Amino acid sequence: MIVTYNWIKEFVDCDLPAAELSHLLTMLGLEVERMEEVGGGMDDVVVAQVVEKNQHPNADKLSLCKVDNGKEILDVVCGAQNFKAGDKVALAQIGATLPGDFKIKRSKIRGEESCGMLCSEKELALSAESSGIMILPEEFKLGTPLFDALGTKDVIFEIGLTPNRADCLSVVGIAREVAAKLGRKVHYPGLDVAETGAPIEGIASVEILAPELCPRYTARHITGCTLADSPAWLANRLMAAGIRSINNIVDVTNYVLLEYGHPLHAFDFKLLAGGKIVVAAAGEGEKFGTLDGQERELTVTDLTIRDGEKAVALAGIMGGGNSEIGEGTTEVLLESAYFNPSAIRKTSKRLGIHTESSHRFERGADIAGLTRALDRAAQLIAELSGGKVAKGVIDVYPAPVEPRVISARLTRINAVSGLALSAGEVEDIFRRLEFEVTQTEPGVFQVKVPLFRVDLEREIDLVEEVVRVNGFEKVPATLPQASVFSDLPSDAQRLAAKVKELLVAHGLNEVINYSFVAPSSCEKILLPHNDPRSNGMVLLNPISDELSVMRTTMLPGLLDTAVKNISFRTLNLRIFEMRRIYLPVEGEELPREPLYVSALLTGRRDPEGWNQGKEEIDFFDVKGIAENILAELKVGGINFSTDELDPYYHPGKACRILSGKKVLGSLGELHPTVQENYGIATPLYYLELNFEALIACRKKEGAAQVPSRFPSTFRDIAMLLPRELPVADVISCVNGIKAPELEGVEIFDLYMGGNIASHEKSVAVRVRYGSKERTLTDDEVTRLHQRVIDALQKKLNVSFR
Amino acid sequence: MKEQLEALLQEALAELGQASTEEGLQELRVKYLGKKGAVTGLMKGLGALSAEERPLVGQVVNTVKAKLEETLDARSAEIRAAVKAQRLAAEKIDVTLPGRKRPLGSKHPITLVTEEICSIFAALGFAVAEGPEIELDFYNFEALNLPKDHPARDMQDTFYFGESVLLRTHTSPVQIRTMLKQPPPVRIIAPGTVYRCDSDATHSPMFHQIEGLMVDKGITFGDLKGILTLFISQLFGKDIGVRLRPSFFPFTEPSAEVDIACVICRGKGCRVCKETGWLEILGSGMVDPEVYRHVGYDSEQYTGFAFGMGIERIAMLKYGIADMRLLFENDLRFLKQF
Repeated sequence: MIVTYNWIKEFVDCDLPAAELSHLLTMLGLEVERMEEVGGGMDDVVVAQVVEKNQHPNADKLSLCKVDNGKEILDVVCGAQNFKAGDKVALAQIGATLPGDFKIKRSKIRGEESCGMLCSEKELALSAESSGIMILPEEFKLGTPLFDALGTKDVIFEIGLTPNRADCLSVVGIAREVAAKLGRKVHYPGLDVAETGAPIEGIASVEILAPELCPRYTARHITGCTLADSPAWLANRLMAAGIRSINNIVDVTNYVLLEYGHPLHAFDFKLLAGGKIVVAAAGEGEKFGTLDGQERELTVTDLTIRDGEKAVALAGIMGGGNSEIGEGTTEVLLESAYFNPSAIRKTSKRLGIHTESSHRFERGADIAGLTRALDRAAQLIAELSGGKVAKGVIDVYPAPVEPRVISARLTRINAVSGLALSAGEVEDIFRRLEFEVTQTEPGVFQVKVPLFRVDLEREIDLVEEVVRVNGFEKVPATLPQASVFSDLPSDAQRLAAKVKELLVAHGLNEVINYSFVAPSSCEKILLPHNDPRSNGMVLLNPISDELSVMRTTMLPGLLDTAVKNISFRTLNLRIFEMRRIYLPVEGEELPREPLYVSALLTGRRDPEGWNQGKEEIDFFDVKGIAENILAELKVGGINFSTDELDPYYHPGKACRILSGKKVLGSLGELHPTVQENYGIATPLYYLELNFEALIACRKKEGAAQVPSRFPSTFRDIAMLLPRELPVADVISCVNGIKAPELEGVEIFDLYMGGNIASHEKSVAVRVRYGSKERTLTDDEVTRLHQRVIDALQKKLNVSFR
Repeated sequence: MKEQLEALLQEALAELGQASTEEGLQELRVKYLGKKGAVTGLMKGLGALSAEERPLVGQVVNTVKAKLEETLDARSAEIRAAVKAQRLAAEKIDVTLPGRKRPLGSKHPITLVTEEICSIFAALGFAVAEGPEIELDFYNFEALNLPKDHPARDMQDTFYFGESVLLRTHTSPVQIRTMLKQPPPVRIIAPGTVYRCDSDATHSPMFHQIEGLMVDKGITFGDLKGILTLFISQLFGKDIGVRLRPSFFPFTEPSAEVDIACVICRGKGCRVCKETGWLEILGSGMVDPEVYRHVGYDSEQYTGFAFGMGIERIAMLKYGIADMRLLFENDLRFLKQF
């Protein structure tokens, strides 16, 4: 909504400077999003008088003038011819900047010095076209800044209105707010329409066939109009509001729309068959040509304004080409009506037509005040076009609406706001808002709310009005008394943060990908069509096809991110994302949204550098990260399985992670085909863990272990194993020996090739022995160690080296 | 003999002065003090002296011997020190060469800001709550006093999966789910991902919000002002200007936008604050009785406030990021700064 400073001041006495008025509006909830001075910064354009006008010696079409700006006589070269010596003109002096960032400098034109420029209206953006320079009234004082002299200096406020404030979609509405805040009265313009024409009943008639969609329709008739351009004051105000000036009749309807907020429509009366208006639903499939030259197909839920034969307007949205004001219009039928907001909204939405008019009707117009707008417009049209207004108004209003009475309690107002207002203060605020108020008992108000305030229905709405007009700044900032202490963060929340920290500690960078992916993403990671993950939830109105399916796996997003970074030559990637995936559930409206920990690594293990390792990341880097997370979260019963691998993995370099039989996730090198599908040159390593599953499989927090006070003894075993035999079997074989002195075992070497047969591998393990009570003797250790060797030999049939 | 000793001492001291290595010193030690050394030789000659002379000369010999040993030791220490100094000098490295590093990880700025905000509210006694991102119309709109066909629904362009299933447009449905689950009092904060079909320099189709809700007996609009003012001073600094101004949200009344003094121009007016000197960072208000009706709370007995803020907006202000898209491009050259 655009209003200007001067326009507001027509309706309310307000001596605040524009910047303070802007603040006042913002603090009333009418946020001023933009403030712009009209004629501001143009003080160097002044009123001047032409003292002499001579022919330029070197150019036929130019004249050489002596111009008096009140302080000195200046030489100015001018190309226009429409003036004479003695005329008052607009002089842009040196240093002035005209619209379009045109700077006036001292210059020589065809050898003659020019100390400024005489301006046309167009050059000053006062009109769209002009012929010759501006000739000013004789009484203007020399040296006065032009815009001060013209009195057109103004400030435009662009207000971002919230959708509830339909009543402020007008200058009057905004003035009403200013008046309420300042405790002043709004000056409504006097409305005595000079009804010099014949009685309207004999000229036109109105019939409403759809009273639920149009509960009130009023009209006036004006005859003898002469269509012309609007005067500058009118055109300028429309221009400030961003509305194009068309002619003196259409412009008036727009002007009154801005002023009162009520949309009006003017019909060329001679084009209305039978001189009558019928408000009725459109026929199904009816074709109608709107003012913008488009042909629309209507349906029975669209409300139309019709004459004796045909539709002439799409009610409350846009007029028709067939009854438009234009060349030759002399008789006007002016409409001011109320249309049902949701009906207007439906039609406007369906046809995609959003107009100043539909915008207001959708939000709720003032059913009581619409005749004021009608009268104001009729009066202005008669004034500007020389027309005669017919006697009387047609007002079809079968069921007049009564203003709402809302009851409000002082105690409630103070309890919600934290203020301590008195009944008198509250009553005063209501009255300033033009509400009628009575107190049925002390502190209980019966408030009659004018019909233009469509947003006020309940007590709480009035509470807000009081707090708002009283001023939010007057509400004391307090801290609530706590009657409740919050729970500590849940295990899941605490551990989720811990997992992120662990990943960061492992040198991974967190990324955030969109939750929606391309439909082709599952295919690209080789998921078959019958995999449930290939059937993610599909958006009906996606931003683009590429972002149309809710992800069912984290992998495609990470891969896309990898591709993007590799294209920027970031070749060593360690990224993670810990967010949700969306898995539809048969028979449920809403999907499951499990939180997933996912990571993707490629390139070198260490940062690049003169002294850094040059090794590439491999399977065991990503497995190590997973093992650390599992250890830190104390997930029990961990085992790794190569069964049922997802198709996006390299079949020989990946595994699933389980706790007992529960699947926690998987990790491994991605399938080379996936790598090819994304055009990535280096092998990729991926990890995914279902966070909820991790949490569910945590071991009970046990007592901390006390380390032994006696040193442990280590013994190594080197053995040859069949290449296919998992090393995990060696470990579990050793761990399976029941001896409290056997403290642990780890692999410290693995070797294949060389002098080792191709079907074998060499594995070396270190076994740790110790006791909490004493230092073990060499004999004891040897005996224990022999048990280990025997077990390995018996169970796994290994040979020792 | 005495003169001989003096001359020997002078000669030895001169040679010691010239010795530059430990080996050289060792040779001199042998030469003078060894079994066949010069001093030892002289001492052997003591026997040929008279009984009167012997103690006198013996004393001189001892003095010379002690002097030599002392000088030898001192010289030896000097040489060792010089050798060490030389070695240290030779070992000098170029300390401007970069050190050896492990890769450094980083959290996303959205995560960092979310954690910071949650921890401020945790200290104020707010517990973290969560809810689904794919929501039912009821929780996202209906129960928040946004009936179908309400013009306020235009404020939020919604992604739909079907008639009543959608991507939540704000974190406010978490309020509803929380209140339906538990009786008052309630004090929660709900961070989460939200979606609107909008995409340009200041809008992303996916972004993040934090919702707060407090419902209890006797909670006022003044309490809302107090809590949010406290929060903002924790997040942006004690001296930052804060103002509440009236606004409209269907689920709160009275409703307030919360502005902070522009962190770029400090309130003077600049491009970021659109010359107003203020930046909008929060929407808030007293929970509308209509919302209580939907969750079965008694609005006569309980009052409360709710607020919501965009995390991206705050991250952009905190880190001076002009284009929101940067937060979702996942360019590691950008993310590694955090």
